[in-house]
Amino acid sequence: MTEEALGGANAAAKPLQKPRRSASAEMIIPVAGIVFTIYYFSTVWEAPWTAQVSSFFVGCILILCSVAVIVRLALAARRGTMTLDLETLIAPRNFIVKRLALLALTIGYIFVIRWFGFTLTTFIFLMLAMLVLNEGRHPKLIVALSTVLALGGWLLFVVAFEVRFPAGLFETLMRGIL
Amino acid sequence: MSDDYLFELHRRRFLMGTVATITAGILSSGRIADAYAADFPSKNIKVYIPTRQGGGADLNLQLVTGVWKKLLKINFEPVFQPGAAGRVAYEQYMGKASSDGHELLFGNMGPEVLNWVVKKPTFPLDAYRYFFRVDSDPSIIYISRRSKFKTIEDIVAAGKKETLNFATSRIAHPATIGVLALGKATGAKFNPIPFSGGRNTRNAVATGEVPFGALPSASIVIQQKNFKALALFDDKNVLGGKIDNAPLVNAKFGTKLPPLVSARAFAVKAETIQKYPDRMKILEDTLRKVVATEEYKQAVIKAKAPWELISPGGQKECAEYVKNILAIGEEYGDLLRGASAKEAAKKKKKKG
Amino acid sequence: MEFDPRIFIELFAETIQYWWVIVPSIVLGLVVGAIPGFSAANTIIMLLPLAIVLPIDVGFVAMIAIYCSSRMGAGIPAILVNIPGTAGAAATPLDGYPMTQQGRGQQALAISFTSSVLGGLITTVVALIAMPWLAEVAFYLHSVEMIVVMLFGISLIATIATGDTLKGLTAGFFGLMIGAIGADVVYEMPRGSMGFLELYDGIPLIPALVGLFAISEAFIVIDRDTILTERGRAAVLHSTGWAPTIEGVRETLKRWWHVVWTSIIGLFIGIIPGAGAAIASFVAYQQSKTYSKTPELYGTGHIEGLIAPEAANNGVTSGTLVPLLILGIPGGATAAIMLVVLQYHNVTMGTDLFVNNPKLAYLPFTAMAVTYFLMIFTIPLLARYMSHVTVVRTVYMAPVVIAFTLVGAFVSRDYIFDMYLALAFGVIGYIARRTGYHVAAILIGVILGPLLETYFIRALKMSQGDISVLFSSTLGNILWVCLFLNLAIPIWFERRNGRRKVRSA
Repeated sequence: MTEEALGGANAAAKPLQKPRRSASAEMIIPVAGIVFTIYYFSTVWEAPWTAQVSSFFVGCILILCSVAVIVRLALAARRGTMTLDLETLIAPRNFIVKRLALLALTIGYIFVIRWFGFTLTTFIFLMLAMLVLNEGRHPKLIVALSTVLALGGWLLFVVAFEVRFPAGLFETLMRGIL
Repeated sequence: MSDDYLFELHRRRFLMGTVATITAGILSSGRIADAYAADFPSKNIKVYIPTRQGGGADLNLQLVTGVWKKLLKINFEPVFQPGAAGRVAYEQYMGKASSDGHELLFGNMGPEVLNWVVKKPTFPLDAYRYFFRVDSDPSIIYISRRSKFKTIEDIVAAGKKETLNFATSRIAHPATIGVLALGKATGAKFNPIPFSGGRNTRNAVATGEVPFGALPSASIVIQQKNFKALALFDDKNVLGGKIDNAPLVNAKFGTKLPPLVSARAFAVKAETIQKYPDRMKILEDTLRKVVATEEYKQAVIKAKAPWELISPGGQKECAEYVKNILAIGEEYGDLLRGASAKEAAKKKKKKG
Repeated sequence: MEFDPRIFIELFAETIQYWWVIVPSIVLGLVVGAIPGFSAANTIIMLLPLAIVLPIDVGFVAMIAIYCSSRMGAGIPAILVNIPGTAGAAATPLDGYPMTQQGRGQQALAISFTSSVLGGLITTVVALIAMPWLAEVAFYLHSVEMIVVMLFGISLIATIATGDTLKGLTAGFFGLMIGAIGADVVYEMPRGSMGFLELYDGIPLIPALVGLFAISEAFIVIDRDTILTERGRAAVLHSTGWAPTIEGVRETLKRWWHVVWTSIIGLFIGIIPGAGAAIASFVAYQQSKTYSKTPELYGTGHIEGLIAPEAANNGVTSGTLVPLLILGIPGGATAAIMLVVLQYHNVTMGTDLFVNNPKLAYLPFTAMAVTYFLMIFTIPLLARYMSHVTVVRTVYMAPVVIAFTLVGAFVSRDYIFDMYLALAFGVIGYIARRTGYHVAAILIGVILGPLLETYFIRALKMSQGDISVLFSSTLGNILWVCLFLNLAIPIWFERRNGRRKVRSA
């Protein structure tokens, strides 16, 4: 590990911004809870009683709690003590792009691993993600880190533990060589 | 489903620089395919298994393929898909596998076919065929050695006085159907409690949570010290002393139940049978040879699986088995789906 | 089956001679324990061919050593990077990770290791002495009693939610509802599975675990330089040497009584077949908080909050051996594999074993004791050097955490689907954290919900739908009273303290 990777003492630590609480953001979980519960109930409507009792009980309490939370949040928003945006979720704003990029890369990682195999996909993912997060700084370090980690992961997971990842170019090649 | 008692002999080669005691030879898991194999099989054969790694089917398969791979001169690649009581494996196999004979399925015809009674699969039932049965494991009724019951008559008598709970691996299982059919025939009331998996089903009886249980015989044979078999659902008792010479249900109660056995078998897509009769012949013929070898017998005995249960059968036997189990499944279909008359009445009462 | 101390001492001395098996097994166990998704059970499965060909004593000792050390290993990522690798370590980050963020990672590791080792040692000795009586526990705790034990664990949701009860309960019941996905235990009707065959058997735990904790965390921390708070970073950079480790060991030893009773909780829960480390660590944490004089400090990096789950999940390890050896009942996956190996060598479990082959019967316990004893020496090294991981910059750490925990999500079932699932839980976790819903409460629901339902439905099926079955057993009723008191006592304490404050004001 280099000084850079370890985040030297001179690297400025950004204080965590504490944005105002936004009611709409806090409503996501209870609303999701209600929607999911209703969907769930629809799937067990015709099921035998053993499939219903316990989940009806849990679902009803969830709906009660969620409605209470939503009402409370709505009242707070009306009083103006809470906002009606998604600031809580996305702050600090200058990180929105990075977060979305990381999310997209993660989805891409899972999506292509079945064709490229563990090692190659991990290498590409680590490299791209680190470059994006680090805004392109220290490319040599990043390439080196990604190579070492991907190979290390390959040795540990594929060679030693024989995790049954879909084999990609690299794995096939190495199996041929070994 | 006797799933946990058996082990895998050599599955994964595990490189551990850290454990100094490992010698590589112990673990070697087979040779690379020889280049001069005939035109079939031309590559390794992939086998889908609807239960988890390390379970009974895994061991059974390893014992067979251990000899089979030498005859076919290729290797076998097991794919474990234990989800949804085997449904995942079947649907994946039917959806993804090629039909050139290089991809097979190795399942348990009993509980897995009963799945289709509970809920229709995404493919038509005749789209795949079992073509070679390896073993035939009768369902038995067993108690704990600590139990106050002594014979199957005690159980039936107690069931006539009040409803008796019993442990079973799953509701949709030949063993469950056996006990319920026995109850129907004798007027005793039995209530199946599913404990998912052989281990839990045994434990439930061992700890006295339920007075008795029903499982395929192999899972009780290996635990003979703790459990006593009381009766079995078959037309013969091939295990004899290994299951305490338990009587046959039909002989004891004059019932005419068909054999309620679990049976592990290889399956292929129906189109493979149509398109490649020659390949099927190679597969079936070599399998017959495998089970007849002394090497296979010794491997089975060494693994402590009861040799008496090995019962090879071809397409005809398998088809007959499936027909039987589907018929039984239909007869008890309401129960398997949780909508028996009693349950439904109770549900109405509860709502009303 | 009376306990003879001479055999134990003799055996302990003999077992030490197996150090050459135990030491590499400890290293292996620590490694696999620390990797999310890998567990002692699947490591031992992989080593099965070896365990079978080795002499029985050597194989058995190796399995025990892996089993114990993997439990301790699972605490490392849970504390340092908020990734509990197994469900048994799910309660560890509640206080372990805040300590890391404050720069007390090394100390936290030392506390976790010390309480693991002590908890393991204590329960091993207790199990050894009280084995014949303990084995009976399995005969009394059936579905009905287990419902109450589960509720002890689930009531942790309410305990965690003290800051904002309503939101805490919403999070907890949201988790319980997610946990209800999958086929019901009796008729196997798929419920709420959104058409995914992969969800028929319910939500797989590892993807939920790494998603809610690790992946969501990775997305959150990237706006900071390191996972540490500013003060925490200063603390890490200025701390040198062994001081925090020594401090951690000392703090744990000072709370020895806490280690004792929380590990005993683990021991008892371990004895019950099918229960296990997850429920034990949640129950222990909940109990620890309930009877604490400073419950408000839990969740902020409180030492007792770290000791409780770690001592308890190592207590489980000793507990599972009791029914295995005495009754031949394997309580969990690892114990089941041990049983397979023993059976392969024609060893029969039960009283016979203790009469005819007492050395082999007691060997697992002495092996456990020796393992824990030898693990003591790994504490300072691991604590000191592992904790450095916390100063790695998040731009490097976050992608690594994501990639490697996704591997963990994959390995337990070999489904690519599970990686997407982990990401989905990551998104849920991210939203929950940013909007003030406790992810631990969601997770408790996801882990314990299905277990509770299984016992509940089974009890109802056994009574044929008669709900009064819940109060049909004496032991069950005693447990219900305990549960009630357990929930009422903190409220009563609070009231009393409140009155005192008013009076003194």
